Amino acid sequence: MPIRSPFHERVAPYCTSYTWKDWAGYYAVSHYGETHLPEYWAFRESCAITDITPLFKYVIQGKDAARLLSRMAVRGFAKMQIGRVAYTCWCDANGKVIDDGTVSRLGEDHFFVTAAEPTLSWMSRLSRGFDVEIADVSEQTGALSLQGPTSRDVLKQCSDANLGRLKFFQTTSARLDGIDVQISRTGYSGDLGYELWCDAQDSLRVWDAVMAVGRDYGIQPAGIEALDMVRIEAGFIMLGVDYYSAPHVTIDARRSSPYEIGLDWCVRLDRGAFMGQEALRAEAARGSEWKMIGLEADWLELERLYESYHLPPALAPAACRQSVPLYSGGKFVGQVTSTVWSPLLKRYISLASVKAQYGKLGTKLKLEHTAFYERRTVTATVVERPFFDPERKRAP
Amino acid sequence: MSRAIVIGAGHNGLVAGLLLARAGRKVTIVEQRGEVGGLCAASEVHPGYTVPGLLHDTTGVRRDVVDLLGLSRFGLAFESEAPSVLAAHSDHKGVVLHAEAKRSRDELEMLHKGDGDGYIEWRGFLSRIRDFVSGVLSQKPPMMKPDSIAELWSLGKTGFGLRRLGKADMLELMRVAPMCAADWLQEFFGDPLPAAALAAPSAIGASLGPWSAGTAASLLLYECVRGAEVKGGPAALTQSLQKAFEAAGGEIALESEVARIRLDHGAVCGVELEGGRFVEALLVVASCDPKRALLDLIEPGTLPLDVEEQVASVRMRGMTAKVNLALDGRISFRDREGERHARAVVADHLDDIERAFDAAKYRACSERPHLEVSVPSVNDPSLAPAGKDVVSVLAHAAPHNLEGGWSGETSARFGDAVVEVLERVAPGTSAKIVAREVLSPADLEDRYDLTGGHIHHGEHALDQLLFMRPTPKLARYKTPIEGLYLGGSGSHPGGGVTCQPGALAAEAILKG
Amino acid sequence: MAMTYDAIVVGAGHNGLTCAAYLGKAGRKVLVLERRHAIGGATVSEEIHPGFTFSSCSYVVSLLRPQIIRELELSKHGLEIMPLDWTFSPFEDGTSLLRGPDPEMNRRNIARFSRRDAERYPLFGQAMSELGRMMKPIIESPVPEPSKLTPSTLYELLRMSKQFKGMGEESLAANFKMMTMSAVDFLSEWFESERLIGPMSVSGIIGTFLGIRSPGTAYVLLHHYMGEIDGAFRAWGLQKGGTGGVAEAIARSARSFGVEIKTNCPVDKILMTAGVARGVVLENGDEYHAKAVVSGADPHRTFLGMVGEERLDEDFTKQIKRFKMRGSSGKVNLALDSLPVFPGLDPDSPALKADITIAPNIDFLERAYDDAKYGRFSREPFMDCVIPSLSDPSVAPPGKHVMSIFVQYAPYNLKEGPADWENQREAFGDAVIDTLERFSPGIKDRILHRHVLTPLDLEQTYGLTEGNIFHGELSLEQLAFMRPAAGWARYQTPIEKLWLCGSGAHPGGGIMAAPGQLCANTMLKARAV
Repeated sequence: MPIRSPFHERVAPYCTSYTWKDWAGYYAVSHYGETHLPEYWAFRESCAITDITPLFKYVIQGKDAARLLSRMAVRGFAKMQIGRVAYTCWCDANGKVIDDGTVSRLGEDHFFVTAAEPTLSWMSRLSRGFDVEIADVSEQTGALSLQGPTSRDVLKQCSDANLGRLKFFQTTSARLDGIDVQISRTGYSGDLGYELWCDAQDSLRVWDAVMAVGRDYGIQPAGIEALDMVRIEAGFIMLGVDYYSAPHVTIDARRSSPYEIGLDWCVRLDRGAFMGQEALRAEAARGSEWKMIGLEADWLELERLYESYHLPPALAPAACRQSVPLYSGGKFVGQVTSTVWSPLLKRYISLASVKAQYGKLGTKLKLEHTAFYERRTVTATVVERPFFDPERKRAP
Repeated sequence: MSRAIVIGAGHNGLVAGLLLARAGRKVTIVEQRGEVGGLCAASEVHPGYTVPGLLHDTTGVRRDVVDLLGLSRFGLAFESEAPSVLAAHSDHKGVVLHAEAKRSRDELEMLHKGDGDGYIEWRGFLSRIRDFVSGVLSQKPPMMKPDSIAELWSLGKTGFGLRRLGKADMLELMRVAPMCAADWLQEFFGDPLPAAALAAPSAIGASLGPWSAGTAASLLLYECVRGAEVKGGPAALTQSLQKAFEAAGGEIALESEVARIRLDHGAVCGVELEGGRFVEALLVVASCDPKRALLDLIEPGTLPLDVEEQVASVRMRGMTAKVNLALDGRISFRDREGERHARAVVADHLDDIERAFDAAKYRACSERPHLEVSVPSVNDPSLAPAGKDVVSVLAHAAPHNLEGGWSGETSARFGDAVVEVLERVAPGTSAKIVAREVLSPADLEDRYDLTGGHIHHGEHALDQLLFMRPTPKLARYKTPIEGLYLGGSGSHPGGGVTCQPGALAAEAILKG
Repeated sequence: MAMTYDAIVVGAGHNGLTCAAYLGKAGRKVLVLERRHAIGGATVSEEIHPGFTFSSCSYVVSLLRPQIIRELELSKHGLEIMPLDWTFSPFEDGTSLLRGPDPEMNRRNIARFSRRDAERYPLFGQAMSELGRMMKPIIESPVPEPSKLTPSTLYELLRMSKQFKGMGEESLAANFKMMTMSAVDFLSEWFESERLIGPMSVSGIIGTFLGIRSPGTAYVLLHHYMGEIDGAFRAWGLQKGGTGGVAEAIARSARSFGVEIKTNCPVDKILMTAGVARGVVLENGDEYHAKAVVSGADPHRTFLGMVGEERLDEDFTKQIKRFKMRGSSGKVNLALDSLPVFPGLDPDSPALKADITIAPNIDFLERAYDDAKYGRFSREPFMDCVIPSLSDPSVAPPGKHVMSIFVQYAPYNLKEGPADWENQREAFGDAVIDTLERFSPGIKDRILHRHVLTPLDLEQTYGLTEGNIFHGELSLEQLAFMRPAAGWARYQTPIEKLWLCGSGAHPGGGIMAAPGQLCANTMLKARAV
């Protein structure tokens, strides 16, 4: 049975739908009200607030902290600037991804790591002989995500952080209603947004302070369903949906390298030894078998498909995590892993994993689609990711 | 040709160094201590009394290695026959166990009817399998899955050797190997003494008692390579190795402790000594234990994780302490006035050995340790003043991880327990002691740089032998670091004075 | 008596019955002869205290193979196994560890003792099930005989090695290494907390005369994990109405195939003519004749008892005599007035429906073993308890409970000799209850009836030589092609037409029924019946 997050007392009254999910052992709201759509629009038009405490959180300190992280992740951290945040992933010895998350450098020998899966043992195993201390602060740390165009205004009103100078993927300490918090300009929405980290004991006061100000800026508690929609629009992959953690699956076919899930840009091969380096180097030379792509279904064709049953096209504006096969010339060439009909973009978009040769932009594939009990296909085209990328995300 | 460095001037380091030097390499052996010999080096326990090395048993020295090295030209000689061992007893005269079983028959039959024949049968089985077992031990460990024609051939040879044993002996060997020594020996002996005396060696260097499964295997490995002792003991062996090595142009740097094995792009480029001196080399053979070599001497974070973790989980829990005694007179075993015995095993009963192990499990010293006694002055009277003896005792069980840690006081207490046990089988001994030296596993760790104070560089247990020694990935002497090889007792075929790991490591390097 | 059968099966334990059922299903005329008044052997339910039904001996159904359940249609014949998928381990300081099917709960519960262990726990399960997958074909087939390198054994070895083919040299070696390790050493490579290692390690010693530090116990650990290899759900479970129901179901299935089962028919000797088995003679002198005789009894009883040394060759006799049977466990069955409590445990917690393991740490388990090594029962034994009445109220009066306690170590060979169990039975029972009281205060006062089974009782009542519940210790040298004797691991025996189908044959003990099934299939394939 899941347990309650430190924000639960505040979050629960809003959750009039009583729809909860288990997120890493915590109760997490699926959607608050009758539908998740107001929450979705808050992400894109005002400010959505989400309890992200279920993330696993670690503090790494010591002379070899950067070395440990450089050994673990697919990029190095020796030269990372203090105050920067990096999104990265980490692999097993065979170069298959275990998890992805963020690493913030808070000081010369002081890092903060977030992950989707518990990672303490893995980091400990990699740190034999290192001068480093790893603290699992998952339960001691409350975490909130504020995402959306007005999120900066909300935070400006309730904290002393100099948000004008806080660039995309930077982090700063700040005070909020007299409470010490860490604010990073990061998020899972692909929009302007911030993540707040505080002592779990201060959670309720932080929530109250943010909500009090937020009312004037359209703040809206948002659940996992709405979050899932915006992350697909942003083209972000999700562990356990778009790829699987290598040690948790039985067969190799279920494991993916960073190259195969679109994280090529994270990998820095030519540096000191790191987990999976050899295998990744070989794969980089050889080429990968699979490729993660953005896909858009042909809307007119969909309309015609439904029309053949005398139905209007009925696509729920909700994220779908069910995998669906993709064909080319009648052959299975991959699968869609996440799909959403974007209410903002009015596009039916997906993240998909396909055999590499089918991953070129503009490639037409056949996407399985069930309209009226019957499995049919519609044309879908490989398109650029992210699907949604507003300028305000990076704007000063 | 570039320089090769061998870490450690013990018997295995010397053998590896010698073979490399003979093959034309420029070899330097770096030794942390001020003398050559490692665990074989003799030391003076008291003016006029010299004890052989920490390892005092040279019956396992491989003749084929000695012949290959031509050590007889450098003064090495063997006694004429495998030594007898006195199975001493606290209440009676015990029995003398001869390598030639017939000679012990009468004494054993007196002890318990049928035991004499049992001993003959037991030795008979050992002598039938001896060639096969010693053959396995003198080759690179067999691989489980042949991946080349050459491997297939060598596996075939092993398999063939096994088949040549004949069905009965082969099945018997397969039955016995995973057993516990106690069960196996009790099939042959009705009296507890011979079973205990024969089982005792299986407890040495293992964290197991005779009732633990797999101890029969270590017993087989021990018994199947036993031969005659080296004349002059372990020190004579390493002295002749040193002579041969120097004659081949090798050099030995004493008091040179390695601080780091330096790498360049994943390959060895030299070693850095304590004090900062750097010695360039593209080949390094580490005859120190595998944990020391790979976890301490290599920069953390460089080894592949699986190798690092497997090495870290190699079990090396020291259980053995060394007690050296200088006697004012000769040691005389119970009811054996006037007899001279160079070797004795002291354990009345299998349960005594097991209880000693029990104590160690709970991180305590055995109050009644079992002993493996060597009296080197019997064969070489020059080691002690005329008419006097020097005694070297390997005592069990003294756990390295003693509750509360080792101190002068705990060592002394364990020394007392050893002397007390010895006194029971050799009355009057304690009164003759003029000097006593107790080396706890912690002392052994300090003096010889043995991780866990483990005299075999890794426990002899089924899962740490053959192609699993020290780990499956490192069993062929090669390491994932180019130019770095393991060549000590931590590698196949394991600990004791055999010289085989050093020889096989050199072979692996030279034959590629 | 002139009745002639295709096959006579001696002993109506679950293996004998399974073998009979398979032979019957293949159209053979089969007779099963059971010594006791009840069928089931050690797979039996008995009302020892009025109103309370005990699974006197075997108490959990662990490895009963789904294939057998399907092929013998056991569900139709009354097999109803309720899953037992929680493990509850109380500690003396009032804390406890509950593990079950919810991974997040496991993680949180284990994290209270070690976060690292919590993280590695699911990976361990993953690794074990992978190993299990590799071992599965070995369990499912008769073992090849390495000493006879005939084309057919070569083929079998090849087939088996195909199984290993996907594996690299190293993982193969790693697996081999695992087979030779001790449970503690193996688990210590994964975990750091004794609160986890202790309770997990006991799977490696159940039914053996080994300690958790004894090499070879890691393999037994795997043997017990293989309950999980056959499907999504864990195969550990409790049979409704008690374990006897399993034997009843197999018996009903067997009868449906025309098998005849007679109880109160103790077999005295195997009838032989010119070295060929041709039937059996009962203790009362009745004779039954058959084309083949199959023994479900243990190897000692079969060969040294029913065949007799005088009719065996010397070498085989020696091998059978050396086949170690030392019983190491006892059973205590309790009729309870009310449900036991454990400090800090919510009385409604599913924990009580779990397998309750008293194995708080490594030293506790080692000390328990040390006693046994020197011929004493453990003063503080390891205990594995279940309260079947919580899941199946039919086995006790309303509100009352039965508790089944498997106790180890209770060595058959006491220092004073096995006969002394008669004098030590109650002291043994007291040691069990006193130890349990420390973990579940007040349990003493809830006891309405206590039924203590010593290894001597297991021998005398259930015919298990030396009280060994697995018909022979599960130690490395007594497994696979060495079980029960080198050269005779394929159910055949040196006596022509005499077969062995009990747990003393490959792949060994537990309510797995594989030896019975494999023996029947081997006989049919060899056209022996």
